[in-house]
Amino acid sequence: MTALKVTDLSITFRESSREVHALGPVDFEIEAGEFLCILGPTGCGKTTLLRTIAGLEKPDTGEVDIPLHPDGGGPVIGFVFQQGALFPWMSIFANIEFSLKAKKIDKVIRRQKVESILEMMGLSSFSSSYPHQLSGGMQQRAALARSLVMDPDLLLMDEPFSSLDMRTSQELQENLRELLKKASTTVLFVTHNIEEAVYLAGEVIVLGHRPGRIVRREIIDLPDRRSRLSDTFTEYLVSLRKTFESLVSNP
Amino acid sequence: MAWSTLVSLVRVALGFSLAGLIGIPVGLLMGASVHVRKFLSLMVEMARPLSAIALLPLSIIIFKARTFSQLFGLEHLRYQKCLLNEMQLGMIFILFWGGVFPIILGTIQGVRSVRKMHLEAAGILGAGRLFAFRHVIIPSALPDIFHGLKLGIGRCWMVIIAAEMLPGTNSGIGYMIRYSYQLSRYDIMLASIVIVAFIGALFSKGLESLGEKSLVLRSRER
Repeated sequence: MTALKVTDLSITFRESSREVHALGPVDFEIEAGEFLCILGPTGCGKTTLLRTIAGLEKPDTGEVDIPLHPDGGGPVIGFVFQQGALFPWMSIFANIEFSLKAKKIDKVIRRQKVESILEMMGLSSFSSSYPHQLSGGMQQRAALARSLVMDPDLLLMDEPFSSLDMRTSQELQENLRELLKKASTTVLFVTHNIEEAVYLAGEVIVLGHRPGRIVRREIIDLPDRRSRLSDTFTEYLVSLRKTFESLVSNP
Repeated sequence: MAWSTLVSLVRVALGFSLAGLIGIPVGLLMGASVHVRKFLSLMVEMARPLSAIALLPLSIIIFKARTFSQLFGLEHLRYQKCLLNEMQLGMIFILFWGGVFPIILGTIQGVRSVRKMHLEAAGILGAGRLFAFRHVIIPSALPDIFHGLKLGIGRCWMVIIAAEMLPGTNSGIGYMIRYSYQLSRYDIMLASIVIVAFIGALFSKGLESLGEKSLVLRSRER
């Protein structure tokens, strides 16, 4: 089953009198349960693409098609921002509870759901802390928990680990893989970090410089438990790096 | 002197609460809706520079010397020493006038300074307009609302002292200052001035510490 279908999508920004053709046209689709990574250099419009899919920007041409939720309602979309999107005036518990409260879910069920996700993410002891009391890594973990508690049909992630140091970022990548093994959520993940893409994704799409277009699609045929040091891992890394370098040398 | 101070304090309490009760909702609406803002901002900008003191004679004409005790039909208290007797409506009205504009402007500022990312996050998390207003916009606006309240109460306190020095009342700490001047009791006059300064500082510090918590939570994230 297709979880997301993007057809002929292109976006232009108008700032005062200037027009910037930011993206496209691009076409791609994701099967349910897949993990697709969009890899591209800074300024290629990958964040714009993600925001358009989330409905935060309007496309000039083309369509974003996300099938309805199995129970007939609109699709549930999760979005993890780069950083700082937690509500600073709410505790971690209240942040995660937000979407359930907005949907007027019963208080007892809300509490159960939030507590189970806190436990799963190793955040139980931070339940009553405020975001500013947490490290950057823990904040992003909480942001991920806030999206996962909705049980999204499609999870969009906008360079969620790029502001973290390498060690923390790798740790969160490992966590994410384990979580998704259990949840089988469809994920569209945007990054400029090639290693991150190879480690996480089932398939990688490389976007070129502005206006971003798809320059390469690559299925990452690696086992579920990935080692960053294995030969095949390094081969993917080198091959994608070459594509990247060619983009930089002749944009 | 205690009586005069109490009279002034209760007047400010009434006028300032009224300013808050009206100023905050108006500010929230003006901050949230472009239409309301466009509609009301000209009026606010015209009314704001009009000094409250300048309006005292007019408001005495409009409200006569009517006081709260008359408003509540307690005419028989007229010749007794009673707080309600000293709450001239005209005086409360100019206090409201003095306090309401900083509160409106602070609230608008607060609503408009909400981070776009927080609103987007709320939308994606399924929050409707009202829910986002209640749980995202208002909490992010709180520090600015408190700032507006602090400026507002400072204005009210200045206005009431000046107003009490003018005709229309024979009570309150401002009246005390003028009256002791006329009797050449400069000791009482100076004591009153010290009280005015002290209470003004208390108001400002009090509201500041109330607003502190919300400010800390918001600013750390920025």
